[in-house]
Amino acid sequence: MQKELKQGIKDALPIVLGYLPLGMAFGVLAKEAGLSVMQATMMSVLCFTGAGQYITIGIMQAGGAIITIIIANALVNLRYLLFSTSTVPYLKDRMPVFTASLLSYGLTDETYAVAMNHYQDHPATAAYMAGLNLTSHLGWIGGSLLGAVLGSFITNTDQFGLGFALPAMYTCLLIFMIKRKADIWVAVSAAVICLVIGYLVPAAMSNLSNIIFATIIAATLGVMINGQH
Amino acid sequence: MDNTSIWLIIIGVSIISLTPRILPVALLSRFEFPAIIKEWLSFVAPAVLGGLTAVSVLAPDGVIDISVNNIYIWAFLPTVIAAVKTKNLFFTLMVGIAAMACLYNIVGI
Repeated sequence: MQKELKQGIKDALPIVLGYLPLGMAFGVLAKEAGLSVMQATMMSVLCFTGAGQYITIGIMQAGGAIITIIIANALVNLRYLLFSTSTVPYLKDRMPVFTASLLSYGLTDETYAVAMNHYQDHPATAAYMAGLNLTSHLGWIGGSLLGAVLGSFITNTDQFGLGFALPAMYTCLLIFMIKRKADIWVAVSAAVICLVIGYLVPAAMSNLSNIIFATIIAATLGVMINGQH
Repeated sequence: MDNTSIWLIIIGVSIISLTPRILPVALLSRFEFPAIIKEWLSFVAPAVLGGLTAVSVLAPDGVIDISVNNIYIWAFLPTVIAAVKTKNLFFTLMVGIAAMACLYNIVGI
């Protein structure tokens, strides 16, 4: 139990490295948009949706309506229906449904990628999930708080290369995730579809709905390719 | 925007962003998925990672930029090599970040 918790915390450290600068950037923007330090931090505590929080601040600053903010966030977070469903076969029977549901609040692109890699050769446990998700969330909250407090005193974190923390993590986890021949085709076709949709409909790129369409098409392709053998 | 509106927005965004993560696990855990659905779901993670990698490297600012000026593509190369060779996430991350720091400060974009 304690070992699992430690493993989860350890696996979250690369995520924290990526979330700190992103959280700080959010804190700075939120402060500029008129949120107090308390509000900026609480938003990261209660929402934990990177893209969604940036979009919210953007719409607020542009004087948009509350309903616009809600719809934009519904769109941005829709992909998690798919992510969450795909974790069900790993979580069910491994922990009470209530615990699994509660800990799933911490599902993000990054915790999902790390956890799914872990589940390939380790059974899921509540302790691991708690360690991974809570540590990542703390990184996001801590970054937001720092950003909101320090505001414009923060120097550009890009010069430290931290802007590449999440892309590097996606790249690495993608390479780890490829086990079957069909996985390569799925990943490549998803990548191409994502970019094509994003090119044709730029709005899909900013609300990440291109990920949903690409995943549905590519996963279907994967089943078809796999079935041929 | 007044304080009450801001708090309402925060609570609204919280509900709308947490629901799609929690609901599938809460509702679907009592069912045994058919084999074909399980297989389909097993491709969700590779697909998502393929998409996220492509978008984050080839469209780092939200607009597709496939050119020699996109330093994310240059940083991507040593990252791939590190991931394949070492099979270690943390080390790979360090290689990627160091590569980006060098590129950013040398190329100065």
